Amino acid sequence: MNKIPTSKIGRGAVVGKAAVKIGLKKSKRAIFGGDKKQNNEEIADIVFEALSRLKGVSVKIAQHIALGMPFLPDEIVEKISKSFNQITPINRALIRKVIKTELGSYPEEIFEEFELEPFAAASLGQVHRAKYKGKEYAIKVQYPGIGKSIKSDMAMLKGVLKLFAKGDRIEHVVKEVEDRLVEELDYTKEAKNCQYFQEINRNPNIVIPTVNSEISSQKVLATEFLSGVGLDNYMKTEPTQESINFYADTILQNYYNTLHSSNHTIHADPNPGNFIFLDNGKLAIIDFGCVKSVSKEFLKYYSKLHQMLFKQDSDDKIIELYKSLKMIQEPTKEKALEYYKEVIKPLDRVYIEPFLEDIYNFKDSNFAKKGYDIIQEVQKKQFTTIGNTNEDILFLDRSILGYYGMFEKMGATIDSKAIKEIIIDFNRSDVCI
Amino acid sequence: MKVTQSAKEKTKLKILNAAVDLITIKGFDNASLREIAKEAGVSNPTIYNYFPTKQKLLYAYIEQKHKEAIEAISKIEGFDNFSFREQLQSLIETELELYLEDREFVAQISDMVFSNSGLKINMLYETNKEFTEVVKEMLEVAVEAGEFELIPFSEHLPLLLWDYYIMVVAYWLKDESENFENTTEFIDHSLALVESILRSDIIGKASNLGSFLFKTHILSSLNKFASTKSHFDGIKKRLTKVFGDE
Repeated sequence: MNKIPTSKIGRGAVVGKAAVKIGLKKSKRAIFGGDKKQNNEEIADIVFEALSRLKGVSVKIAQHIALGMPFLPDEIVEKISKSFNQITPINRALIRKVIKTELGSYPEEIFEEFELEPFAAASLGQVHRAKYKGKEYAIKVQYPGIGKSIKSDMAMLKGVLKLFAKGDRIEHVVKEVEDRLVEELDYTKEAKNCQYFQEINRNPNIVIPTVNSEISSQKVLATEFLSGVGLDNYMKTEPTQESINFYADTILQNYYNTLHSSNHTIHADPNPGNFIFLDNGKLAIIDFGCVKSVSKEFLKYYSKLHQMLFKQDSDDKIIELYKSLKMIQEPTKEKALEYYKEVIKPLDRVYIEPFLEDIYNFKDSNFAKKGYDIIQEVQKKQFTTIGNTNEDILFLDRSILGYYGMFEKMGATIDSKAIKEIIIDFNRSDVCI
Repeated sequence: MKVTQSAKEKTKLKILNAAVDLITIKGFDNASLREIAKEAGVSNPTIYNYFPTKQKLLYAYIEQKHKEAIEAISKIEGFDNFSFREQLQSLIETELELYLEDREFVAQISDMVFSNSGLKINMLYETNKEFTEVVKEMLEVAVEAGEFELIPFSEHLPLLLWDYYIMVVAYWLKDESENFENTTEFIDHSLALVESILRSDIIGKASNLGSFLFKTHILSSLNKFASTKSHFDGIKKRLTKVFGDE
């Protein structure tokens, strides 16, 4: 294994080196012209190289960035995705040490069985199988010192990404991602989230793993072991269309149900790795480190907005709602209409397309590609206020896009009507804002 | 702590524990062998029989911890399958674990070594046999298992790693992070480097062509240190031995 740069200087050197290289590539292109795609691929290689040197926390950042920045060139997002699973391994000596520090004794003294080799990578750490008091557990262990890396990693990644993005949108996204990451550092928060989602879950087909706090800490999280497969392996079993649709509906309805439940909190990490297709046919949702809560007031507007979009209400009415949400801040009516038509409406069309009919078939919908093209198109528009976005909307929309991507991969047909009913029910239950 | 069966060992440990307690409270200079004997409940002649000087007590303490750590790691399930780095990392982490309850005492030894007291780092070399022998064994096994190739100067590697270990202990003593997390990280990252050097055959390549550059560089910077801090002398002396004098 190569040396992982540890100090701020070390990490800076790595990313700095990448930035210098990109700078060279960019100027080379400016001088020699050349194939843009080819250049993007080369830049992607360099970014990837820098990311894999940083490893650890960067993997998680990359995940967020890829979800949050659809304006990055395809090739780069692809490279970043590849780095998802390349987390710094915690070796056997270090695992023993971390368990001893966190839980007070070495794993062999606490557990009946503890596999020193991890079976999966996780957010900011890795997962080990263990047996405790006769029960099977998945023990998530955090890489020591990873918290300190977040700030410096984010600052430097921001520097690299700025080379691609226009305006100050990147600041918002990077800040949001950093906040989520800092939250994810404390596994006791995740334990609480797990408990919350378990309590509000009314769907018998959804399993939220139970945490054992006896053998958990800020950096160690013990959850019951669930036997199942990830999305890729599930697809390899050549499931029936019925089964695929069942899982897609379960996932999407759960998203909207949790959004409209008591705390308006959602599992904000629509990474396919966070769903386990269980042997008993149920669906497990794991990794509650990244959750997002919105205010009830916001949700009222947001749901109202969606209801109007589904009904394809008039532009004027929709613009008013967007103004309440501070997504549109153009000074004049004409400007507002122009901004809406040029920037927001095309993007909205992406989000609501699956809800225009009672069902939507993602199979061969070419959804991600179409969405990407529209986003690219919108990016080209010059609007001074393009930085004025509502962070909550960005976050929710990003999550939904993540799910759409997954459904396309699965080739699922979703029950759009059921989702619309959840939203309409919510609006009906509490009409006054 | 596992106490060996022999009565002699028992007495020795009793004296060592008493010494740690007393020196922690009173300081090395102020704690006399007589007082330590009294604390341990042994007679004066007995303590002089075991430890003619107070310094010998310190050496014995370090040796004792090496022994305990080695015993502890050998009991780890699957330890034989650990990589060289994992084995070494376990050894060092276990030593620190054992030092934890005596941290102030160890800090005193360290202060004495790194200040101009009568205790020099060279003298601590007397205590490293247990450590270097087990590291040598780990290395031999790793080479035999094909983890990496036999490198030039490998006979000096255990000693260099012992120097590294002393540095880790010094770092740990100054570490104020929660749960000494910085030390854990420091060990992990530095051993990753050690491992990648061992695996990359860089030393073999360097020794062919560029060793004189490396050597000149290291020795001259050590010279700079040595002029102000005497405790680098020992390291320098041995590095000189490794690379030969021009």
